[in-house]
Amino acid sequence: MQKTFRSGLAIGLAVAVAVIAAAWTYIRYDANTLRKVRARGELLCGVNTGLPGFSNPDAQGNWTGFDVDFCRAIAAAIFDDPTKVKFVPLDASERFKELRDRKVDVLSRNSTWNLSRELGFGLHFAAVSYYDGQGFMVRRSKNAESALELDGSKVCFQTGTTTQRNLADYFRSNNMKYQETSFDRLEDVVKAYDSGQCDVVTSDVSQLYAQRLRLANPRDHVILADVISKDPLAPVVRHKDDDWLLLVKWTFFAMLNAEELGITSSNIDEAMKSTKPEVMRFVGTEGTYGEDMRLTKDWAARIIRHVGNYAEVYERNLGAESPLGIPRGLNQLWNAGGIQYAPPIL
Amino acid sequence: MIKSGRGLLALAACIAILTLTHAPASAERDFTELEDQPGFVPSEVDEQLPPQFQRQMVLYRTTEPPGTIIVHTSERFLYLVQGNGRAMRYGIGVGREGFQWQGLLKITRKQEWPDWTPPSEMIARQPYLPRFMAGGPGNPMGARALYLGTTVYRIHGTNQPHTIGSAVSSGCFRLVNNDVIDLFERVPVGTKVVVRQRPEL
Repeated sequence: MQKTFRSGLAIGLAVAVAVIAAAWTYIRYDANTLRKVRARGELLCGVNTGLPGFSNPDAQGNWTGFDVDFCRAIAAAIFDDPTKVKFVPLDASERFKELRDRKVDVLSRNSTWNLSRELGFGLHFAAVSYYDGQGFMVRRSKNAESALELDGSKVCFQTGTTTQRNLADYFRSNNMKYQETSFDRLEDVVKAYDSGQCDVVTSDVSQLYAQRLRLANPRDHVILADVISKDPLAPVVRHKDDDWLLLVKWTFFAMLNAEELGITSSNIDEAMKSTKPEVMRFVGTEGTYGEDMRLTKDWAARIIRHVGNYAEVYERNLGAESPLGIPRGLNQLWNAGGIQYAPPIL
Repeated sequence: MIKSGRGLLALAACIAILTLTHAPASAERDFTELEDQPGFVPSEVDEQLPPQFQRQMVLYRTTEPPGTIIVHTSERFLYLVQGNGRAMRYGIGVGREGFQWQGLLKITRKQEWPDWTPPSEMIARQPYLPRFMAGGPGNPMGARALYLGTTVYRIHGTNQPHTIGSAVSSGCFRLVNNDVIDLFERVPVGTKVVVRQRPEL
């Protein structure tokens, strides 16, 4: 009796241990995004269904854009091949759920970082890839150099957003008066402005540049340098996969650091031969940082070779080489007038 | 302040053989004319720059005080710091060689419609150039010149607006005439000029 009980207990314990071990292994495996991406042979990247400069599919299904290039950079670091990405277009409403449900490995979809989202969805925002914020567009003939000169303006904006509150706060705190006209659709806002119904449009700066292209004479309008709200856009990953968070974060930092070090896709071969310690650590001719991240020595060099540094990606998609022509502004490097700042490798 | 030798030789003049090199893709522009065109007077249409090189107020954070000029050679921009996180930005053409240093200079002299005396090194390369050209429209030095320290470097205008955005001259920083006139009005003699280069690999 005693013996039977003992052996029964032993078997029971063994089964319990086995089940726990299996579950633990499975969770470990399931939570290991890098391993899953490797096994799959491609990265699943959640992007916007279509947003000028950030994420755009063409008729053949080729994706381009600032957010798109970031996923290509991750693929370059892992596979040495920026094409090993499957882009998954996601609506604003479903994006965080799709990420949490493991439909995508990373979300690179113009998403504003805030605490409420990190808490509510069990997510981490990896690093601010683009500092957006609310700004103003006015007619060039107005000769305004600052938003502080907009006292007495007729301002148009889209309803149902935080735009209205930011606008009111800004004008009130600077002792300025304005008349407001709002519309449900952004197109109508732009139409009203173009027809002279208002003399200022306010929206996120990246939006203003996109909307300016729709005006009858885009050159006759300027977007002021002032940014009055915080909309830091960042790639997003799931909680509880530190290695993956690290990889996504440092992919972005690599692009910024390359710009700061003067490393571009066109001089990367020259950089591989550099004897400057900072450059050597970056390209992997010194140190084992790549291996320690479970990548290769040249992980960062791969990113730059295939995709380019931050400035290249910015100018190609959003800046001077794109129809949008958004000046770097806040997104300039910290030592060149902006606030983009990446920690160093060592 | 300036390393002599190669630099001084190479710059010899602010305006020299116009050879396009090493402009970043974003700033690179086509060249129809590759050399100086003394006597050429650009039209208003010629002086219309691409949007990114047009004079504009931009967000710019710096520890330098308002009134300081900061030149980012690799980006082809000149910033005049306004304070309060902003700066007036001008598109520029920069030196192909000779201006490989970075550091601090002061504006020591301001000149309207400067004369042009191409130095002998330039005459050797471009024998057809005039030995002297009085200041005025059509002068490659453009409408205004700001002299930098005791060097031969200058911030000046140009009669070739299409060279803005490129690395063409042997030395100086060039702006379209409208812009150099605007800058000239805004800065006094004694203004600090900070020059920044892309880091070396």
